[in-house]
Amino acid sequence: MGEYLQNIWASISSSLVGMSITLKHLLLIRKGNVTLQYPEEKWPRPERNIGFDHKDYNVIRSKLHVDMDDCIGCYKCARACPVDCIKIETIKVPKGTDIGTTSNDTKKRLLVTRFDIDMTECMYCNLCVYPCPEECIFMTGGPNSSKHPIDYEFSEYNREGLMYPFATVTQEEIDRYTDSETPEKPAEKEETA
Amino acid sequence: MVVDNLMQWFESWTLWEAGSPLLFLIVVVIAGVPIFLLMAVNALVAVYAELKISAFMQDRVGPMGQGPGLHAGKWGLLQTVADALKLLLKEDIIPTLADRKLFIIAPFIIFVTPFIALAALPFNQNLLIADLNIGVFYILAVGSISVIGIIMAGWSSNNKWSLYGAMRSAAQIVSYEIPVALSIVSVIMLTGTLSMQGIISYQDGTTLGILPNWILFNNPFSFIAFFIFFISGVAEVNRTPFDIPEAESELVAGFHTEYSGMRWAFFFLSEYANMLIISGVAAVAFLGGWHSPIPGFLESPGWSLFWFISKVGMLIFIMMWFRWTFPRLRVDQLMNICWKVLLPLALLNIFGVGLWGLFVA
Amino acid sequence: MGIVHGDEMVLNIGPQHPSTHGVLRLKVHTDGEIVSKITPYIGYLHRCFEKHCENLTYEQVIPFTDRCDYISSMNNNFGYVVTVEELMDIHVSEKVEHIRVIMAELNRIASHLLALGTFGMDVGAFTPFLYMFRDRENILDLFEMTCGARLLYNYMWIGGLSHDLPVGFVEKTYEFLDYFEPKIKENDDLLMYNKIFIERTADVGVLPPEVAISYGVTGPNLRGSGVQWDLRKDEQYSIYDRFDFEIPVGTGQMGTVGDCWDRYWVRTQEMKESIGIVRQALKQLPTEGDVQELVPKKIRPPKGSIYKRTESPRGDLGFYIISDGKPTPVRVKLRSPAFTALSALSAIAEGWMISDVIAILGSLDIVLGEIDR
Repeated sequence: MGEYLQNIWASISSSLVGMSITLKHLLLIRKGNVTLQYPEEKWPRPERNIGFDHKDYNVIRSKLHVDMDDCIGCYKCARACPVDCIKIETIKVPKGTDIGTTSNDTKKRLLVTRFDIDMTECMYCNLCVYPCPEECIFMTGGPNSSKHPIDYEFSEYNREGLMYPFATVTQEEIDRYTDSETPEKPAEKEETA
Repeated sequence: MVVDNLMQWFESWTLWEAGSPLLFLIVVVIAGVPIFLLMAVNALVAVYAELKISAFMQDRVGPMGQGPGLHAGKWGLLQTVADALKLLLKEDIIPTLADRKLFIIAPFIIFVTPFIALAALPFNQNLLIADLNIGVFYILAVGSISVIGIIMAGWSSNNKWSLYGAMRSAAQIVSYEIPVALSIVSVIMLTGTLSMQGIISYQDGTTLGILPNWILFNNPFSFIAFFIFFISGVAEVNRTPFDIPEAESELVAGFHTEYSGMRWAFFFLSEYANMLIISGVAAVAFLGGWHSPIPGFLESPGWSLFWFISKVGMLIFIMMWFRWTFPRLRVDQLMNICWKVLLPLALLNIFGVGLWGLFVA
Repeated sequence: MGIVHGDEMVLNIGPQHPSTHGVLRLKVHTDGEIVSKITPYIGYLHRCFEKHCENLTYEQVIPFTDRCDYISSMNNNFGYVVTVEELMDIHVSEKVEHIRVIMAELNRIASHLLALGTFGMDVGAFTPFLYMFRDRENILDLFEMTCGARLLYNYMWIGGLSHDLPVGFVEKTYEFLDYFEPKIKENDDLLMYNKIFIERTADVGVLPPEVAISYGVTGPNLRGSGVQWDLRKDEQYSIYDRFDFEIPVGTGQMGTVGDCWDRYWVRTQEMKESIGIVRQALKQLPTEGDVQELVPKKIRPPKGSIYKRTESPRGDLGFYIISDGKPTPVRVKLRSPAFTALSALSAIAEGWMISDVIAILGSLDIVLGEIDR
């Protein structure tokens, strides 16, 4: 009988404790509210110094972007990608032809005819960003964020919308350099196999 | 006593003679319209309140649409209207292997139960569809019809989860009718009437000097009876912590797993209407009905309506408060509480009220 | 009075069900509400993790380990990275070790919060679930600040870390810990000490220590059964020997040792211990040093194999790696603690009711991403 009454008392008292907690939250909602009205308000991005030095790298996992002006077609990002979502095709240009230099003053030697990133496959691991010698592939809002504001809301209505072709080379340019030579096959990951 | 007044009014200018069955039918249909509206409005308001209360308790703000158009109004006020429209437009799916006839009838039976029960609930001195001389008994009796609807829904869906929900629900509602009825019995012993208005008029005046003469404060036994009634009432309308028939983490959605669109909305409407009825009966039987909490203060019909609605609203709020605080009981624990705690207490209460009436009052 | 047995009904809980914590299918034989036989069917979330690893370089495996136990990615990173480092005989710097411990313990708190919240939801309490998610968000903010990702971090690298701690991280972490400590008590009052919750969990799904050991159950589930087994102390790795912390074990406060309530209680106590570890690590944290100085340019571990296990929030997380000296591993095997916990389900949940099976499943805290891999 004593245990029976004790149980009833424990039920009542613990229920009242629980109810007082929820009531407190109900009454203090103005102070306690933690949600945002999403499309109007957005969660602030964590602040971090912006720069390209590793120490104050502004980390972000958003949309991948490539500055094609700086790309030398070295395949390093494609090789680093664990899910192979970066597809690159290049053609060699004849020796002595000037196809521009990057902002790091590296002479381009390969014409990048295809640089597709399939963001549906991307797993946002950031691994492609580190090996790039020209620092031209990055998540938007990260380094070079003055040029590319953060963009993590890039939903599309169909799959094709998430395939980003970055290559800027025109067909004429390709034709100009492929008259004499056959286009080179994209380098596979032979050395890793 | 809307029905009586309407009858008299019709008789005063039409050629029908008094007590004509046809006239009675017309009057009943007319009187049914406000009940239907009441149920719809109740669901709209209560669902909105539930969204907001649950949100505030969980450090959220709930629906917060800005302005008209696609958004749901200021502070999300139009959220439930939008939900209702969505439910109206949704596809009505009937499973291929379901028992079609029962599947279609079940929501209506469940819907009809609170509908007819509301006819005996007095909102103020005059606003009452019919003042039955067995009002409380009628409401409790009618309330158990919904079990049939729930079993029909669960069985006809041809879904194991639905069947479990239905079986649990049937056991639960049948069990909890008993403490509900027994705690009402102690009220009836005091008032000596089954009529809702009779019970309310018994609670006029003051007790212990300042307190209103509500049955809640009448004697210690009726005080406990209120809690027995309210807890059993929560169980009867299948709300947390007694929501095992539709326990979403166990039975997906219980007896209405297979329902969608408007048919599902009927379950929803009746759930909230049932809350209204249980709270209404609790308010009438224990909290003085439409009487003002300060005896003799603001007792005009308009204010009476206000007092009644605020009492009912308070009780509905407490039900929602329960829901967003407690975990759910297991089916056997639910039965234990009913048969081993609430029922003995209710019986003791009847005994106590009897002794009180004999020796103290 | 004998028990009346009716016909048995076969019930499929899942793969789509609100409380299977992923895509698990339980084939349950029921006699009324009583469950007589449970057969878990797994594989709905199988993503060929181990086969994938054979075609990836060692550093490319790390983002895949994130996705095994997606609730505690940092701990998975940690386990894998520690294993490869031991194979390659790399000894990372003090600073890296400290940051790793901080991240792992923060992630343990986040993981336990999710486990407790979903357990609460399984027994019908919705509000504690959202309170715990609210607090978990703060930890995820800290992670986002550090490595840009909120769930799948790819933060720990072989020989280092992907990023140094950002400016202001230490202050923010202290701020969070100060905020969080009182919240544990509030959540406990709201859910753990609620009588209904005690009724639902105490004496339910008792996992006796010998059964737990014979099934290979580890982590909080084993400790809930009263066995003091924590790899952070018993098979010391990283720098856990420098921190002062207790290993809470279930004592059967509300019922029997090893019931669902004990498993819940052990997790709440572990969160408190993790807070202590984070505080100590933050205090000792060296400020100088490059977190990537030891990251090898080419990761080619020597020929050989290694098995190493670490304490993830769910238990012993073991990695078995065979290397043939090439940049890709020959074989990577993951020993999943959630898998063993699930295998014990039928042993402890048979004979209980459907509602209890759901509660026991919630108390075991399984993550299907790790079970199916």
